[in-house]
Amino acid sequence: MTTATITTIRSKVPFTEIQFCAWVAQALPGERLEYHRGFLALDRCQGLSRFNAEERTRLTWLGARTFWAAEQGLVHLVQERVSPDQFAYIAVARRKPKAAAVSLSALLLAEQEAA
Amino acid sequence: MPPKLSAADVATLIDEANRAARRLHRKLHLPTADLEDLSQDLLLDLICRLPGFDARRGSIGAFANIVLRNQSSRIAMRIQRERRAQDGWMFSLDAPMAGSREPLKNLLLEEDGLAGWYGQRPFDIDMQHERLAAHCVLARLRDDERQLCRALSQFTASDLVAGGVFNRSSLYRRLAALRPVLTAYGLGPCWDGFEIA
Repeated sequence: MTTATITTIRSKVPFTEIQFCAWVAQALPGERLEYHRGFLALDRCQGLSRFNAEERTRLTWLGARTFWAAEQGLVHLVQERVSPDQFAYIAVARRKPKAAAVSLSALLLAEQEAA
Repeated sequence: MPPKLSAADVATLIDEANRAARRLHRKLHLPTADLEDLSQDLLLDLICRLPGFDARRGSIGAFANIVLRNQSSRIAMRIQRERRAQDGWMFSLDAPMAGSREPLKNLLLEEDGLAGWYGQRPFDIDMQHERLAAHCVLARLRDDERQLCRALSQFTASDLVAGGVFNRSSLYRRLAALRPVLTAYGLGPCWDGFEIA
């Protein structure tokens, strides 16, 4: 029996939306990325958050993008409770969806006809 | 009416056709597999022209020689014309090249690629990945996003704005929205680069 060690990548600097997408593109199935630590819902809210406006905007975009990636079947989103009101927000890479059955040339032809 | 030929005459015709085929094959640097085809083409043409043979004017060998030379030069001209039209020679990957017993595909390195033979950019594994990623992401984009990608593959953003196709701010807003999507499917900045930075 073999056991696999799952390590979670945690960035030392705040994560941006485009960095998250770049990780998604390159991650192998099962790889984990901690994209935020805290309480995301509160951290995005003005008045409740410890972050400034720029950081809140970054978190809003990042949160929306992680949700989009989950909807696209690219990642699983999980949370790990690290302390009271402190969560590690983790994205687990999924197997990449297979290329759609529709061919590129067919798409281009269809668009040319429509134009 | 075709002349009556002895078995020796037929053997002479076949020998002459084979010899002419080998000569042509060598001069044109054709693949080994083409030798038999050439022999058959030449022999067939020779048989078709046999009614023109007059034994009083020379031997069957001399007649065959003249006919084969003419047909050989016609075949050579046709092949050269095809090569000029194709801007090079056309080989089958499964056929061995002249002077070799190995099929062409066994002699090509992966990084050479077939395109490399024609002086085009090698089709390496990275390009293969990019092509697959492009295939994957284009199939998942919305119609309007695909149309934007298509327009941008032909015109610059400035051209599109100047042509009134898009409003500048909406064009850049749509580009900004598209960038993470393309990146998530592997058509953008690389994660390794971010990690190193």
